[in-house]
Amino acid sequence: MASLSKLAERSNLWPWLLLLPLAGYMAIFFVIPLADVAIMSVTEPKPSLANYEKVLTGALYQKVFLNTFLTAALVTVCCLLVGFPLAYLMSVSTPRVAMLILLLVTMSFWTSFLVRTYAWMVLLGNNGPAIWAMGMLGIENPPRLLFTRFSSTLAMVHMLAPYMIMNIYSVMKKIDPALVRSAESLGARGGSLLRHVYLPLTAPGIANGSVLVFVICLGFYVTPVLLGSPREQMIAGLIGHQIEEFLNFGLGSAMAMILLAVTLAILAVYHRRFGLDKLWG
Amino acid sequence: MSSYLSLSGINKTYGNFTALGDVNLEVAKGEFVTFLGPSGSGKTTTLMIIAGFEKATRGAVTIGGTDLSDLDPHQRNIGIVFQNYGLFPHRTAAENVFFPLQMRGTKRGPGLRRAEEMLEMVGLAGFGHRYPKELSGGQQQRVALARALVFEPSLLLLDEPLGALDKNLREQMQIEIKRIQRALGVTTIFVTHDQTEAMSMSDRIVVFDKGAIEQAGAPLDIYHRPQTRFVAGFVGESNLVPARIEAEGVAQSPVLGRVAYLPEGQPQAAPGQEVTLMIRPEHMKLSRAPLDGRMNAPMRIETIVNYGDNALVIGRAGDTLLRVRVLGADVVILKEGEDCTLSWLPEAARLVTR
Amino acid sequence: MRLFGFAIVLFIAAPLVIVVPMSFSTASSLQFPPPGYGWQYYVSYFNDPGWLRPTWNSIFIASAVTVLTMLLVTPAAFALVRHRFRGKGAANVMMMMPMAVPHIVMAVGYYSVFGQMGIVHTKIGVILAHTCLSVPIAFLVLSANLKGFDRTLERAARSLGATPAQTFWHVTLPILRPGLVISALFAFIQSFDETVVAIFISGRNAETLPRKMFDSIRQEADPVIAVISTLLFVAVALGLIAPILWRAAAKSLRRGPAPAGRA
Repeated sequence: MASLSKLAERSNLWPWLLLLPLAGYMAIFFVIPLADVAIMSVTEPKPSLANYEKVLTGALYQKVFLNTFLTAALVTVCCLLVGFPLAYLMSVSTPRVAMLILLLVTMSFWTSFLVRTYAWMVLLGNNGPAIWAMGMLGIENPPRLLFTRFSSTLAMVHMLAPYMIMNIYSVMKKIDPALVRSAESLGARGGSLLRHVYLPLTAPGIANGSVLVFVICLGFYVTPVLLGSPREQMIAGLIGHQIEEFLNFGLGSAMAMILLAVTLAILAVYHRRFGLDKLWG
Repeated sequence: MSSYLSLSGINKTYGNFTALGDVNLEVAKGEFVTFLGPSGSGKTTTLMIIAGFEKATRGAVTIGGTDLSDLDPHQRNIGIVFQNYGLFPHRTAAENVFFPLQMRGTKRGPGLRRAEEMLEMVGLAGFGHRYPKELSGGQQQRVALARALVFEPSLLLLDEPLGALDKNLREQMQIEIKRIQRALGVTTIFVTHDQTEAMSMSDRIVVFDKGAIEQAGAPLDIYHRPQTRFVAGFVGESNLVPARIEAEGVAQSPVLGRVAYLPEGQPQAAPGQEVTLMIRPEHMKLSRAPLDGRMNAPMRIETIVNYGDNALVIGRAGDTLLRVRVLGADVVILKEGEDCTLSWLPEAARLVTR
Repeated sequence: MRLFGFAIVLFIAAPLVIVVPMSFSTASSLQFPPPGYGWQYYVSYFNDPGWLRPTWNSIFIASAVTVLTMLLVTPAAFALVRHRFRGKGAANVMMMMPMAVPHIVMAVGYYSVFGQMGIVHTKIGVILAHTCLSVPIAFLVLSANLKGFDRTLERAARSLGATPAQTFWHVTLPILRPGLVISALFAFIQSFDETVVAIFISGRNAETLPRKMFDSIRQEADPVIAVISTLLFVAVALGLIAPILWRAAAKSLRRGPAPAGRA
């Protein structure tokens, strides 16, 4: 055994041997299913590009794609509007308070999407706290909150905000306070401080968080399906619907491939610019 | 000298780069040898080749007649103290020292007892239950030493072990290491770039530069009779001035003028040969007027740095800066910018021909 | 700005907190404020095999996934962190791919392929799929740990007489253990919480807890889900707070000899 490993080391075979189990496993249980999706998209029910044609030109599908993009963009912007101030608050608070807030964000991060989605159902339900609060404030005839684009978007912001917050905070934490002080001593206040010091310096964190949030949101299944309006679906939900309800593997696969292609394209562009290793720290 | 450790023709190349070029050395049993040299001089590479972590491109390492070339590090029975000690954080001090015994099949009970004895020997009696992170730098070092010695290795290697310690602790540990080494009689190689350390601890110093051994010899030998410019400049302070041999015992230097030297014990030099003259700063005296019985040369004082008990006077003779060490008491009469006379005895002038 | 910040904190916290009182509600549907408080839904959950079986399935599957993932990822991490070889970059990318692919895409693939293989709706199918999905995060954590490993320790062990195998067993593994544990934990959580793929390929006998919860939420919004949500949330909270408390306790206990004295 010892001489075998020695031989392997000498001929630089050793790293390959170590990698083999994982590589083999992934080849079978990751690559093959993925390849199957690609193949089905052009072979179900008959070998042709009909699925792609349908998906790329059909009005319904175009509407869903557009909706997904816009929603993802909206969620990303909202996460920024929510995340940046919170990260800022954390960086100017006492270490104790910052740690508490970070703990809260981390707890949210580690609570599964499903649990948090359910929590929003509770919050926004017809007999739930939101409606109750509105009643307290004297609002007659409160609008229905659940199963709307509003509820779906709001919940997604909640799901993905921790990604944004952590990314921005980790960069913000590293800003040298001396830099801020010298900017202030040179006359920068409030808005201009934000524009000329904080924003440029946290840009990597913002970029990082935004790409992450956008990409995850594009492929989001659970929250839009459970909380969203059935009339305004997102891609993942539509794919699931096609597969589950109609067993239309061809169409579903085509949509899946398009979703995958867009996701990978965005990540590839990001990688070229910043390097993907930054994405997962 | 019967040699115990023998390095013959050790050569190490990385592609086009030669890290070690033909290193030859014989070390006697029980000797304390220091490898001295600047970073990148090859001293650590040589150590790693002896230890078995690097393979020499050519050449052989022999201990007690046995060729080590085909042996893995774990088969060489050599104790090593690494620069950052390399103590296992998940084991107590005693368990750390027990480790090599454990690898050699010793049972835990007697092994730990032996480990405690070893810890006592390095002055850490009763510290066996502590974990490395609960020990100070100096204490960790002693544990590393105990661990490297407990299995009675044929050789002890120390790779710049004192670098992280402060001055007082360093001096203390130098004495400790020497004491333990003497007590155990283990052949030791100590790597450092600190030449005062080398001077104080070694039976012999081996000076490395650019992958080759410049000179090997007893500390005072190296100090008073350096054979190359590098050794003259690296070990101790020195003034190195170029000169040409006029006749045996006489050299002409544009900086110091006519210099007499004692030919015995000096390298051979023919008239007309270009050499370097070395005079140690502490062998020079400063005065207002030339002194009888000594070689003299004029100098203009540029900077005086007073350390209290001694002072460094830097001055210009010819177009060369020279360094002179004088007693603190003697320096008070001198002023920066003044002209004075530099003087030295002929014995102080040393020829360096390489 | 502070007020706004506080509002955001509320936004983040509210959903997390709201499930706790709802789980104690006595109402039969989601009602706020709850008409009364009691343990009935907790009792329901712990007595209902319809909920206990998926819970057990998830625990079993996640455990199996953890073991399999660690067995695959550990040697791979060593290969990629400690060796240089051609194709290293490609191997790295391949390993991270499952993180970049939306789960719905994988779900379609698994549904199709495992369907043909006859392992849909089986535990083994879910285990095989989840392992792929756990690999990236487990690898990331482990290789980060491995990168910070002080190799002098291994050299020291070798010099002291340990063979490479002994070095690995006595030195490398024990020191790497915390990293292995955390890596395994991430793999476990990833599998336990995974919803999308589970929706498609678990079911009937192999139903996972997320799958059951999803179906349940879709159909009736059963208050028992509040119980499960609370339990899961408390588990996360404990998991995060416990190490902090433990470290604080250990610190105050170890007021022994000062570590930074001079020799």
